[in-house]
Amino acid sequence: MNSAERLVHMANQIAANLATDDDPVSAVAYHIQLFWDPRMKKLIQENDKAGLSLVAAEAISRLAETKDAA
Amino acid sequence: MIVRISDDAVAIACGADAVAEAFACAGADVIRVSSWGMHWLEPLVDIEGVGYGAATPSQVSEIIAGTAPSIGRIEDHPFIARQTRLTFARAGKTRPISLDDYYASEGWLGLAKARQIGQDATIAAVRASGLRGRGGAGFPAGIKWQTVAGTMSDQKYIVCNADEGDSATFADRMVMEGDPFMLIEGMAIAGFAVGASKGFVYIRSEYPHAIAKMEAAISASAHLIAPFTIEVRVGAGAYICGEETSLLNSLEGKRGEVRAKPPLPALEGLFGKPTVVNNVLTLAAVPWILAHGGEAYAALGMGRSKGTMPVQLAGNIKHSGLFEVAFGITLGELVNVVGGGTQSGRAVRCVQVGGPLGAYIPPSRFDLPFDYEAFAAADALIGHAGITVFDDTVDMAQMARFAMEFCAAESCGKCTPCRLGSTRGVETIDQIIAGKNVEANMALIADLSETMKYGSLCALGGFTPYPVMSAMTHFPEDFMVRNAS
Amino acid sequence: MTYQPQADFGTPGTKNTEMASLTIDGRTICVPVGTSIMRAAAQQGTSIPKLCATDSVKSFGSCRLCLVEIDGRKGTPASCTTPVEPGMVVRTQTPHLAKLRKGVMELYISDHPLDCLTCAANGDCELQDQAGAVGLRDVRYDVQATHLGQEKDQSNPYFDFDPSKCIACSRCIRACDEVQGTLALTMEGRGWDSKISAGFASDNFMGSECVSCGACVQACPTATLIEKKVVEVGTPERSVVTTCAYCGVGCTFRAEMRGEQLVRMVPYKDGKANRGHSCVKGRFAWGYAQHQERILKPMIRSSIDQPWREVEWDEAFAYTASELKRISEKYGRHALGGITSSRCTNEETFLVQKLVRAGFGNNNVDTCARVCHSPTGYGLKTTFGTSAGTQDFDSVADSDVILIIGANPTDGHPVFASRMKRRLRGQDGRPPAKLIVIDPRRTDIVRSPHIEAQHHLPLRPGTNVAVLTAMAHVIVTEGLADEAFIRERCDWDEYSHWADFVSQARNSPENLQPVTLVDAEELRAAARLYAGSGGSRSGSPQRRKINAAIYYGLGVTEHSQGSSTVMAIANLAMATGNIGRRGVGVNPLRGQNNVQGACDMGSFPHELSGYRHISDGDARRLFEDDWGVSLDPEPGLRIPNMLDAAVDGVFKALYVQGEDILHSDPNTAHVSAGLAAMECVIVHDLFLNETAHYAHIFLPGSTFLEKNGTFTNAERRIQPVRKVMTPLNGLEDWEVTQALAQAMGLDWSYSHPSEIMDEIARLTPTFAGVSFERLDEEGSLQWPVTADAPDGTPTMHVDGFVRGKGKFVVTDYVPTDEKTGPRFPLLLTTGRILSHYNVGAQTRRTENVAWHKEDLLEIHPIDAEDRGLKSGDWVKLASRAGETTLRATVTDRVAPGVVYTTFHHAVTQANVVTTDYSDWATNCPEYKVTAVQISASNGPTAWQEEYEALSERARRIDTGVPAE
Repeated sequence: MNSAERLVHMANQIAANLATDDDPVSAVAYHIQLFWDPRMKKLIQENDKAGLSLVAAEAISRLAETKDAA
Repeated sequence: MIVRISDDAVAIACGADAVAEAFACAGADVIRVSSWGMHWLEPLVDIEGVGYGAATPSQVSEIIAGTAPSIGRIEDHPFIARQTRLTFARAGKTRPISLDDYYASEGWLGLAKARQIGQDATIAAVRASGLRGRGGAGFPAGIKWQTVAGTMSDQKYIVCNADEGDSATFADRMVMEGDPFMLIEGMAIAGFAVGASKGFVYIRSEYPHAIAKMEAAISASAHLIAPFTIEVRVGAGAYICGEETSLLNSLEGKRGEVRAKPPLPALEGLFGKPTVVNNVLTLAAVPWILAHGGEAYAALGMGRSKGTMPVQLAGNIKHSGLFEVAFGITLGELVNVVGGGTQSGRAVRCVQVGGPLGAYIPPSRFDLPFDYEAFAAADALIGHAGITVFDDTVDMAQMARFAMEFCAAESCGKCTPCRLGSTRGVETIDQIIAGKNVEANMALIADLSETMKYGSLCALGGFTPYPVMSAMTHFPEDFMVRNAS
Repeated sequence: MTYQPQADFGTPGTKNTEMASLTIDGRTICVPVGTSIMRAAAQQGTSIPKLCATDSVKSFGSCRLCLVEIDGRKGTPASCTTPVEPGMVVRTQTPHLAKLRKGVMELYISDHPLDCLTCAANGDCELQDQAGAVGLRDVRYDVQATHLGQEKDQSNPYFDFDPSKCIACSRCIRACDEVQGTLALTMEGRGWDSKISAGFASDNFMGSECVSCGACVQACPTATLIEKKVVEVGTPERSVVTTCAYCGVGCTFRAEMRGEQLVRMVPYKDGKANRGHSCVKGRFAWGYAQHQERILKPMIRSSIDQPWREVEWDEAFAYTASELKRISEKYGRHALGGITSSRCTNEETFLVQKLVRAGFGNNNVDTCARVCHSPTGYGLKTTFGTSAGTQDFDSVADSDVILIIGANPTDGHPVFASRMKRRLRGQDGRPPAKLIVIDPRRTDIVRSPHIEAQHHLPLRPGTNVAVLTAMAHVIVTEGLADEAFIRERCDWDEYSHWADFVSQARNSPENLQPVTLVDAEELRAAARLYAGSGGSRSGSPQRRKINAAIYYGLGVTEHSQGSSTVMAIANLAMATGNIGRRGVGVNPLRGQNNVQGACDMGSFPHELSGYRHISDGDARRLFEDDWGVSLDPEPGLRIPNMLDAAVDGVFKALYVQGEDILHSDPNTAHVSAGLAAMECVIVHDLFLNETAHYAHIFLPGSTFLEKNGTFTNAERRIQPVRKVMTPLNGLEDWEVTQALAQAMGLDWSYSHPSEIMDEIARLTPTFAGVSFERLDEEGSLQWPVTADAPDGTPTMHVDGFVRGKGKFVVTDYVPTDEKTGPRFPLLLTTGRILSHYNVGAQTRRTENVAWHKEDLLEIHPIDAEDRGLKSGDWVKLASRAGETTLRATVTDRVAPGVVYTTFHHAVTQANVVTTDYSDWATNCPEYKVTAVQISASNGPTAWQEEYEALSERARRIDTGVPAE
């Protein structure tokens, strides 16, 4: 796995584990916001999102929005 | 014709089986019963109350024909007639594991009475009887029961000490072989009284007949004592496991090592639970006490020694056997009158009462009454009431040495006075026997005896000084004579 | 201070509160009911002669020296076994007693070699002391038989057994039974022939069950069991109380010294974590501190192909600072990072993270807790509100049910395991606690002397969450939840949501059995027992609340669902009301001595000390004001992310203090690629470890014996580490970090670690009341130490959770991506062994190798048979990540389909095989699940051979060239 692949894997893993949350997308976005360093957040937003699960992909977009809003 | 012959181990050792078979071959109806306890007459043949002994197979036809010499009516034999048999009331009369015979001879009356009057009254009856532990220490049984009854615990135990290892003792064995239901009944009463649901009988492995009979009797009477249950456990040959705390360790599967007291077994005994540990004779006395009342039992005996004691006569004695008698009889009467003096016909030099840890008592003290306090005052002990008789050929220095050697051989090794002192004792007596520094070494033995007596953890090391010091005190000539030579 | 052994009161104390007053030798004393006369006398300063009594074990009453006279009692009872009674009048000295004691001592000495002057215990021998105390002047016996001249047993590398000097007091046996719980020793023979024996008569100590904990040596009153070091060096002359640097138990020891030489480490009775006990590592395995391979001079090199060049400290600091500056300027400040060490002190750890945040200007700081207990941090913070175990170790004495999951305490946390085993054996007269073990292996605690787990659930590795959810299913659906507790203490809506989830039929034990491989009925029984309804307590007059405690270790955290498992554990504890009092709780067994401390000190990239998120502006400002810098509000990189970034070419410099990431972190190939891609790797360590192969700067470290500071153990106990000798390298580790910071231009001027602790206390609310002065007074303090709890906090969440309401978190089972298949059909799980410690850097440099020379692969007989393998065969262990070889041992401790090994030896490097899958929330590596294949092998793999060559090349030190 290269770095980009690993980030996709990590995001999907987080999404799978937060799937039972009331609001999985927010939960995933919040988790990434709290624990990922800025470069990782940037990388996953810029890279190919094809491998991301639905929830993960939506959370990444949400992350970008919050970022833009801030 | 009904012929009664004992199947007790002593009778068998004397040839009772062969005699019984000869009677059977001759067409007699042979019934194997318990032993009357007149060992010098075994095998004793009982035909309608008339005794023939010691019988041999070759005498069978004569006995049947009525031409053999008899000892007369057994009940009238002076050895029996002089006794007060409470515990051994059935001895010689009943078949050991016949429930019918037991029922027919006041069996189960005690247990029924206990159940009828309740726990407190049962303990009160035992307390009123004045019954004291027959294993040696003489502790009042009722108080021990009361202590266990007073504890709160999810589990309590009754442990019967049947590790009868003292020299000259066989009363426990005779109870278990001859009247096992009585012991079972006694244990069941104890269990009822203190709230224990489980009992163990710890029997030495050297008693295979007793083990077999107890197991058969327990199985035959299980329904009568339920919910109380009893299990037989077999010892592994260590004298020290007759000491109650070592016995408990052994029962738990541990090394047979003495425990420090406190805690008392009554509070923390088997597997840490409140436990009554009583000797066979103590428990066996209980059914009679319940059936006849504590006061009836207490009416016998003297001072604080109440009831009867099954005295066992052995060693160099003419009439060896089991002699149950109320406390208070003198030692001299037991040895010379009942026992008939030595078997060798020579003069009695001394007797040892209470097993290998008992004091040697010279004839000059034969006025001693059989009583716990009187014996203690004379630096002697009753113990399990075995009496070993010695004639005038005995060497008392060797007997003193033997006491130390016995202690060394049987020590569990836990406490220092016993573990090291017994061997040093043997070495020092050897010095005396060899005539080396006799005076200093006798002083050293006196000091060592004091260390062992007051310092030892249990009675093995603590009582070994009794035979040693009594030999030195009463028979100094046996020690000094070496010096001269 | 001159040498004094610790006071010995003869018999253990009692917890009774009822008091009794008695008179001893005319003086009246009041002591708790249940106290022995001996102890009462000792408390009033009267020392009754004794030999078989010592206060670490129950009284025994065998030596018969301590006899006393009591008014109204017959004879001379032993004072050790006789409890006090109100109004008792005791005399300890009378002519009669003096004579008896002299008589007993005369017997002892008649059987003892009279070689006191040349005896190693001369001056430190109770027999010698007591012979003097009772006034024995001569031995009158003409002695024939003795126990002298017997052969010594010198098989143990750390202590000797000389039966000729034995007084058969059984203290060693009782210590082994009662303190350690191994029951390795026994008394062989009886009477005169009584002899201490390690197992069967044919065994020696080394061949026996003995685990070399040292309890017997400690208990021995003579020179019979004695440390080889004392034989070699002589008896100590002074002592310093300090804290062990091995595992997270944090035992207190007395370092007993002769000059600057350590003679022995003796467990300290007043140590609250260990209560006077020790294990083979802390007690004996400290020889590495003086090992010849220790590096004592700083070294540098411009490329890892070059040999090392020794330099002076000043040059090392200047060079390091210039390299870090150069890289920061060239690649940006985010190209730098640091790793704090769970082996180092709180103060040192705090300085390293401060260096990174304030000096490097980023939050790229992480710690080895990343690879062990980071999920504990996440899970317990989420559910309870703080990242720590809820109890103190004493708490286990009040447990009725103990659930161990993913922990192997007898190997990993041996001293705590001994305390746990005391409870499981039911000492102190209470019925034994019941035991549930959830572990793929049949660990030793499942069945050991007088202990047998009621339930062992041998689950398939990687299915912890499924097992715990199934247990929750049973508890909720069978109505065993403590709803009163939940309503009062937790968020009811969150509970209801969780309860609905676990109650679903798909989460039943029966439904999950194909996944977990755990028998459903057994699992149900275990769940009932934990919830307090399975253990029958018949006979107890009143039914009381059952105390059930959970203890867990790395078998919980080192999984792709490590954090979920921690939360699932927290859910179980809350659902059954097992939080907030003694005897219950959720207790992570921390691996390293200071994992708790390293986490507390703000070593994680996302949080400041005291678990405050870096994005928390208030917290950040507190630090900014104190440090005079501005802090980056964004989280930094975790260790695996640092390595990824290095491979990507954007992470260039790393300061690693006291951690060997190449050896300890998973997927060795990836770690080495990351390290190789960096331009400046600074290793600060005792030895040239595996990571140092890729290092450019080596800064020699100091051992725990050479510095001051504090460690925080698994029970949040902050304990002093005291300097007992001068650092061989010249500097304590905190001084090295400070000098580096100063070389980088930071304005640091700590003159003592106490000043660092003062800063920590100033900046960390949970440490507010901590100072070296307070620690010296109290011995130790459990955080939080605040104005509300000035003496610390033994039990957490007593009246409410730190976060307010306890939070139930739904933890759905998500299978790991690491899957078995035709190529890799077996599951590898890894762990530790008693005699070694983690990567073995220390223990491999001690005599502990006598117990474990190499890592072995445990394999079930069926799997071995399939492959034609037998014990002792070399096997190749291969995974998708890599392969290595080691020897097999065939055993049914592991289930079919599961293999197990340790990771203590660099030649094996089990982490070549482990993958970089990790916990979803924290990236804690999934060490415990790797799909592997095993096959017969002739010898080392190509990788191992290459690595061997690399190690040799990388470790060259060019001492011939003088420093420039």
